[in-house]
Amino acid sequence: MSNLIDNGQTKLLGKFLDLSVYRQGLLTSNIANIDTPGYQTKDIDFKGELQRSLSGATDDSSPSFGPTVRNVPDLTTRPDGNNVSLDRESMMLSETSLKFRLAVQLMKEQFKEVSMAINDGKAS
Amino acid sequence: MNLFGVMEVSGSAMLAERQRAEVVTSNLANAETTRTPQGGPYQRQHVVFGTAAPGTFSHELSAAGMNMPMAMNDPRGQGVKVQAVVADSAPPVRKYDPAHPDADAEGFVNMPAINPVEEMADLMGAARSYELNATAVQATRGMITQSLDLLR
Amino acid sequence: MMIPPVQGFDINAFQPAGAGQAAGLSTGGLGAPSAAGAPTPFLDTLKSAISSADQINSDASQQVTGVLTGTGGDVHSAMIAVEKADLSFQMMMQVRSKIVAAYQEISRMPF
Repeated sequence: MSNLIDNGQTKLLGKFLDLSVYRQGLLTSNIANIDTPGYQTKDIDFKGELQRSLSGATDDSSPSFGPTVRNVPDLTTRPDGNNVSLDRESMMLSETSLKFRLAVQLMKEQFKEVSMAINDGKAS
Repeated sequence: MNLFGVMEVSGSAMLAERQRAEVVTSNLANAETTRTPQGGPYQRQHVVFGTAAPGTFSHELSAAGMNMPMAMNDPRGQGVKVQAVVADSAPPVRKYDPAHPDADAEGFVNMPAINPVEEMADLMGAARSYELNATAVQATRGMITQSLDLLR
Repeated sequence: MMIPPVQGFDINAFQPAGAGQAAGLSTGGLGAPSAAGAPTPFLDTLKSAISSADQINSDASQQVTGVLTGTGGDVHSAMIAVEKADLSFQMMMQVRSKIVAAYQEISRMPF
């Protein structure tokens, strides 16, 4: 069972979903603070975090380590010190939503495959 | 913090932008007000935004003593709050209008230092930010709905 | 992913039954240890399937409770945990079915 359900593909998709949710939280913070003086846009290194979790730790059970949050470089800062870009955040919002949806669909496929394996080829 | 908490952050921003719009509207409405209960013309007001934890999830968590080490320092917990409503320090504008009931000895009236164009721009900015945060709520809601879809 | 991998069930432990296993099964059901101390891979397999399904199930309901009471669990993690619990349960039922079928097959053998 440990290999049947908790396989590499499922782990990858699960981590992808976790990171997408985390990024959504940061995007929301950025958008919420679009008019706050001095606020700096924040994001995570999505690809890097995903790769690290796949190659590194076999089991990331510690909830106190979130992904590393950093300031986004190469953004123009307005006179009030805020560098949140409406365009960037809107675009990221769409992208994150779509990728999340994709990962959910792929995860469902995984479940279906396992289910068929268990039930001798019948759907459930 | 899960996606429900994320929606609260957007909610805090929508509230803050709405409060900003209210202050701007008040400025516009009182652009010609020469008499206030404090005496003198209306003083222009503006809001000061600041980051603040939205307050519901993370604070309830720490109050309940739950072991969530990320709660307090979670960079996603950055909601917005109107820290203060500040009266503008600009002096009133003196307008020459001897026929005005509040004209002084030389025929000048002290009018509020409010520029309607500036206020309108501020109002539009508030509306645009409000809309952007509403879009963010929709996006987050979509993700939650998608999660539920995992169970067919 | 916050869900710990499932332990305790190795599909390779699934062995065809010999006469000794039939004796073990007939001594009073799945809960009873075999009389002569013979190894019981079927029983052990089923037992470990049950206990791991149980563990996954309680983890899933814990996560769901977390989401419902607002104590911060991710919705998608809870959904995945529930799905894994469902699949574990199905697996367990299949193992049980196969064991029962094997037992019946054996008991039909003329001696």
